[in-house]
Amino acid sequence: MPKIKKKRMGFVIDLTPLVDITFLLLTFLMFTAKFKSEAEAEKQFTIRRPTVSPDTTKLPERDLAIINIAIDDKVPTDTSYYYGLTNTKDIQQIYQLVPEVPAEFYNKALIKVDTVMLGKLIRATLSVRSSTRFAIDADRRIRFKWVEDAMNILRRNRAFVFNFVTDKRRGGEEEKSMEKK
Amino acid sequence: MAGGGGALEIPERQKRGKIVRRKKKKRIGFRIDLTPLVDITFLLLTFFMFTTTMLKPQIMEMRIPPEMYAKVEVRASELLTLMLTPENKLYWYKGIADQNNPPQEISISKLRALAIEKNLEPTVKNRLITVLKISPEANYARVVEILDELNQAEIPITEAITKEVDEKGEPVKRQRKFTIAPLTEEDLKLLQGEGK
Repeated sequence: MPKIKKKRMGFVIDLTPLVDITFLLLTFLMFTAKFKSEAEAEKQFTIRRPTVSPDTTKLPERDLAIINIAIDDKVPTDTSYYYGLTNTKDIQQIYQLVPEVPAEFYNKALIKVDTVMLGKLIRATLSVRSSTRFAIDADRRIRFKWVEDAMNILRRNRAFVFNFVTDKRRGGEEEKSMEKK
Repeated sequence: MAGGGGALEIPERQKRGKIVRRKKKKRIGFRIDLTPLVDITFLLLTFFMFTTTMLKPQIMEMRIPPEMYAKVEVRASELLTLMLTPENKLYWYKGIADQNNPPQEISISKLRALAIEKNLEPTVKNRLITVLKISPEANYARVVEILDELNQAEIPITEAITKEVDEKGEPVKRQRKFTIAPLTEEDLKLLQGEGK
């Protein structure tokens, strides 16, 4: 018989707590993660929202119609209105009520609109789902005229309550904006 | 098993008896290699951690009256007018502006204090109407900042007003009166006059 080989002593680390925590975090993040809505995914622009003091009221996810007033990413002089809907089921029904919307846009959740179309779309949205809430998501660099016009269109189409979409002001930004003043 | 008669205990007991008599078998533990599981879990974890954004946009609610041109008669002494010019400068005056009461420039950082002070003046308490006249050329971000400051001012105002009690012994309700109007040519002339 050969010499008895000394068994090498390996070492074992108990990975159980690590895996526990990892799974906990993983499930938390998986459940809280949300996918971009279709309207959001179709955006051809980035909106730099105005910043305000922190608030707890958040943008609702359902029954929401957003009027985007955005500056085009590629053409900075080009400001326009976009109309987005979060209820994908209603989209086609709403678009069909507005003859100005071309048929090829029927599967789009976000369309570029002019003021006439915007008014008709708001009216159509309210007729399909009267509980729809409206939000104006405008870029902070635009002139107030754009927002004023949108507000008047909303008023004319009997949407008297709406929301301005804003972002939370962070510490550094506050100092900067105060300096400007 | 003979004569078991359907009773479950008897065969079991027999079985158990057998096991006791037999040599105890060494239990063989089993190991599962958890490495791939942990690999994938970590991969997913890092993915979700990098893609999640906790910051969601918030909203500022606005209510507008249905009628745009309806005339409402108000007392001039109960009016606080704020004006935002095309150059994004903010002016204010109380009542009616004239030579003795010219619009004064104010920075947005001081607006909150002004709103609180004017709203809590004993003569116009809870009756003051704030009018914000905005030039169409003004910057939208500035408008939202002003609205935010006025909203923030509401907190101490409401707190001070609701401390009082009316004749029925119930706390007074804060009645906020606020309106947005476009800045007219006349308003601009008034401001130019002030500049002289």
